[in-house]
Amino acid sequence: MLSIICTALLMASCVKDLDFDQSEDIVLTPIVELDFIFSKFDTNQFVDPSIDPAITVPEVEVDDTLNYDLLGSSFAVDNLERIELSFEFRNTIERDFVFEFGFLNEADQRIGPFFTLTANAGRGEGTTPVVTAETIVLDNATIRTLAPTKRLFSIIRVQNVNSGLRGILDVRSKGTYFINYDL
Amino acid sequence: MRVFIFVFIGIWSISVCSQNKETLYDFTDIPQALLLNPGAETNFKFHAGVPFLSQFHVNAGLRGASLFDVFGDDGRNINEKIEQTLNKLTSNDFVTLTQQLELFNFGWQSKKDPNVYFSGGVYQELDLIGYFPKDFAVLAYQGNRDFINRPFRFSTINGSGELLMVYHFGYNKKVSKKLTFGARAKLYSSMLHVRSARNSGTFTTVETPQGNNFYQHIISNADVTLRTSGLASLRELEGENSGKEVVSKLVGRALLGGNLGLGVDVGFTHHIDEQWSLTGSINDFGAILYAKDVETYRARGNFVFEGFETPVQFSGNGDQDFLDELEAAVPLDTLSTTYLTMRPLKLNGSIKYSFNPYEDESCNCSLYGDSPVYRDAFGLQVFSQFRPKRPQYAASLFYYKRIFNFLRAKVTYTIDDYSYNNIGFLLSTHIDKINFYISANNVLEYSNLAKARSVSMQFGFNFIM
Repeated sequence: MLSIICTALLMASCVKDLDFDQSEDIVLTPIVELDFIFSKFDTNQFVDPSIDPAITVPEVEVDDTLNYDLLGSSFAVDNLERIELSFEFRNTIERDFVFEFGFLNEADQRIGPFFTLTANAGRGEGTTPVVTAETIVLDNATIRTLAPTKRLFSIIRVQNVNSGLRGILDVRSKGTYFINYDL
Repeated sequence: MRVFIFVFIGIWSISVCSQNKETLYDFTDIPQALLLNPGAETNFKFHAGVPFLSQFHVNAGLRGASLFDVFGDDGRNINEKIEQTLNKLTSNDFVTLTQQLELFNFGWQSKKDPNVYFSGGVYQELDLIGYFPKDFAVLAYQGNRDFINRPFRFSTINGSGELLMVYHFGYNKKVSKKLTFGARAKLYSSMLHVRSARNSGTFTTVETPQGNNFYQHIISNADVTLRTSGLASLRELEGENSGKEVVSKLVGRALLGGNLGLGVDVGFTHHIDEQWSLTGSINDFGAILYAKDVETYRARGNFVFEGFETPVQFSGNGDQDFLDELEAAVPLDTLSTTYLTMRPLKLNGSIKYSFNPYEDESCNCSLYGDSPVYRDAFGLQVFSQFRPKRPQYAASLFYYKRIFNFLRAKVTYTIDDYSYNNIGFLLSTHIDKINFYISANNVLEYSNLAKARSVSMQFGFNFIM
């Protein structure tokens, strides 16, 4: 019915100076910001306060996996130009922290690149946090290799800790998704 | 996706507006004027529309932009033009399409009382209106990065569409020399209906410098409803004969097998004196009860997302699954409860001054009534139609001219939501008992429809005695 109406209208009139071939060039390029991962470490949550402060633990490692399949859709693979993952560490603990993360497939095997970031040591409890900012760029080729992603793993490592350490490490991150959707 | 966008922009641009028929209103030389004002003056003894050809009407309008704005061959990049058009349009801009096809139309003067005229008929109507979903169009086209802390409102999602058959019967009585009154009863049989209106809530990405993460993505008080009737059973049809089955289902619904409703039109014509007259009408005061084949989708809830907590979830929130949490917080319910929707009410009014009467015998005027037949008239008409968000208005100046007895014309100048320079015309030929009429508006734009914001046209054949 619509086509009959349109045809009738068009026959009774004149449509000038239009170029519908331009529709081939329509590209949607939204830029979407979405929170990624976050964490808040309080020293007394990973070192038992009852341990003698004279005892130094050579290394504490905390790791986790979580469900994450945002990159697995065909839309992401075909239309994500790149993803910028921005991390911000705010640290008052007087130790450097190493933060690692990567991606796992259905069989929990690591795929694609593996990222290591270092949060600089803070100046102690009650001081202004030391801020470390890092950005990781995943280009389309990397996103393609990450298509089978089902889970994300993350590890935090800190060395030479004791129960006398005080302070907080805040991890904040977001993804900026640059979409290029060709109609 | 591409097809959808083409159809959307296509409807938007080629056409669209309201159901205003400013050229036909109070054009009492043809019987279709009775459909706009059942109290229009009639001087017929009998009339019958040529089946399926007595009235075809289409009216399309776009408020806010034209096809040229996006597809104009002006050497500019189309994405730039889309972005400009997107920024220009507001959520009060809309696209409308109304189409009517009269199947039958007939009328006769009462034998008992020559002042009474009965008329009836059947017509099919398609009525679509879609408001520009500004906020979510921006989100889809530009994303949220440049709109941090700005809410995207679900209330910008608004639209309705209906395909229905209308059976009607009207009564028109010349109460006195000064007053004619009329009413028309309508039985609606709806074939398809969709509507999404009165949605509320927002989606906002809020910056949280002191929070757990950079942002909070907040769906707040979301309440979004899409009502459909007549669609669910069509969607289930598959296979080779699905086309035929769809047609047969729709025909069944057209023949009173659809969701039924009742409505009335009322109207009057009042002669203030010999030359001044006043008219008014209310059309489609009624409602349809949707009880068959109803599917209503409703999503309500609140949701906050601030990323995934890792590596260790000290907060004790447990393992997160983003989609599961979203679905639990803003559940999508599918309901089949009966609902009632008012028909889009339309109001018309006019004041007219007639002059230049036939003073010789050149006109067989008695056929058209006792009072002197005037060759010229001018006046003012107003129109309003209720829509999901707010009423639409139009006002027209008109000039009526009986050029020859067999050729009558009306020219209108209309101001409405679409433009301030809408010129319309109606030409009606009366040769022996055969009448043909054709009408269109926005004629100034016909030289290049691409730049038009609204177009309306109608034509038809009648047999009039």
